[in-house]
Amino acid sequence: MDAISIAAASGMRARMESLELLANNLANTETGGYKADREFYSLYTSADASADPQTGALATLPVIEHHWTDPAQGDLHQTGNPLDFAIDGDGLFSVQTSRGLRYTRNGNFRLSPAGVLTTSGGDAVQAKGGGTIRLQPGIAVEVSSDGSVRQGAQLSGQLDLASFDPQAMNKEGHNYFALVAGGSVKPAAGGAVLQGKLEGSNAGGPESAVRLVSIMRQFEMLQKAMSIGNELNRRAIEEVARVQQ
Amino acid sequence: MIRALYSAASGMTAQQLNIDNIANNLANANSAGYKSRRAQFQDLLYQNMVTPGSSAGQSTVVPTGLQLGLGTRASSNEIIFQQGDFAATNNPLDMVIQGRGFFQIKQASGQTAYTRAGSFHLDNTGSLVTSDGDQLQPQITIPPTAQAISIATDGTVTYTLPGQAQAQNAGQITLANFQNPAGLNSLGRSLYLPTDASGDATIGTPGGTEGIGTLQQGYLEQSNVSVVDEFINLITSQRAYEANSKVVKAADDMYQQVNNLTR
Repeated sequence: MDAISIAAASGMRARMESLELLANNLANTETGGYKADREFYSLYTSADASADPQTGALATLPVIEHHWTDPAQGDLHQTGNPLDFAIDGDGLFSVQTSRGLRYTRNGNFRLSPAGVLTTSGGDAVQAKGGGTIRLQPGIAVEVSSDGSVRQGAQLSGQLDLASFDPQAMNKEGHNYFALVAGGSVKPAAGGAVLQGKLEGSNAGGPESAVRLVSIMRQFEMLQKAMSIGNELNRRAIEEVARVQQ
Repeated sequence: MIRALYSAASGMTAQQLNIDNIANNLANANSAGYKSRRAQFQDLLYQNMVTPGSSAGQSTVVPTGLQLGLGTRASSNEIIFQQGDFAATNNPLDMVIQGRGFFQIKQASGQTAYTRAGSFHLDNTGSLVTSDGDQLQPQITIPPTAQAISIATDGTVTYTLPGQAQAQNAGQITLANFQNPAGLNSLGRSLYLPTDASGDATIGTPGGTEGIGTLQQGYLEQSNVSVVDEFINLITSQRAYEANSKVVKAADDMYQQVNNLTR
């Protein structure tokens, strides 16, 4: 293949992956606490690539090197349910799962039959300093902005808000984030817990529509470039080599 | 590319389910004692294209990998037990529960179900029954000659007989309370059944300290569906559906261009 077609094919592949990220974002516009993924384009330089003999530049190709998760705040929806919590600002709820500690921005919690505060999937919400938060039935629950859960005058526990670098977390599905190997968690600072509210998704909106159009158009341009490359090849084969009589 | 198509399809399915849920809420905007439900969604599993920490070259490692999500799914639609508005009916057998409790209803099958709809009637034996004829538990019987039926806030039912000044006691209404009402199973006809998630019912008398609530005679609890909120949900849900269908179109167009590369 010639250089034009190779570069164009690499670009087309990257746009397809962009569309896959965008499709997942748009599918999750109603997922509570969802954080949108964005692509990060980079130039791929093969270790074996030989430099251009005239310019000395290495052969490079556009690829999506990695994605990053946009930590921007989602909209806060009023639900009125006393066990719905949203975090305004920095921090994630810590949840004890069978696979270890996981983190979520989706504060749609409920009570287990034993009275333990859990996620909608039934995993216990971790209290600060370890352990779970146990509530008595029939007594109004109040949560202050620092995450302290009170029933009447009695303190039932404090929600454990964790904070880490967005680069150090991996999405796991079920609204969970997991820490990547070697990442570290620190206590959240500056995030306020709001009761009776849920955080919506930060994906969607007009920006997504613009991205969708731009991905499609870029793809179209690359496809044109590839056609031109093909056309040049065809002419080289059919016309340059033609022997005039 | 096929991933984009399936992610968008999962988004469309989820929004369809959201609209089904909104339609049911709106259809029940006037059902006494109806509690609205709210659909919740989760993201699906992620596919690791480039694993974070893998080596990118001889001396560099990839700091964060490339993960592609595979769409969304509905995780639950929980019942929102917010108190509905009270409407005065002046019917002495209508009551509302001001609090968390539930009336206990004995179904025809003998199984006990629970409801917030406090619209009761008398059957041919004088027992308090729901509009479907299921008996209120514990059973309350009122003789046909009774006048001035009164239900106190603590659930004591009394009536007077003609020519008598002394009120007669007809029984005591008790209420059920659940650890986690959002985990109840809807049976239709405004009835709920307990599940493992809701916990077993604990029975108490109205006005007790358990937060079960008090009774108010002559009122009915309206549905807690907020029509404005449901319409807003309907609009956002419909637009999200549309956005996902656009992704299907875009993926299809891009696929078509790939196929047209070779002529």
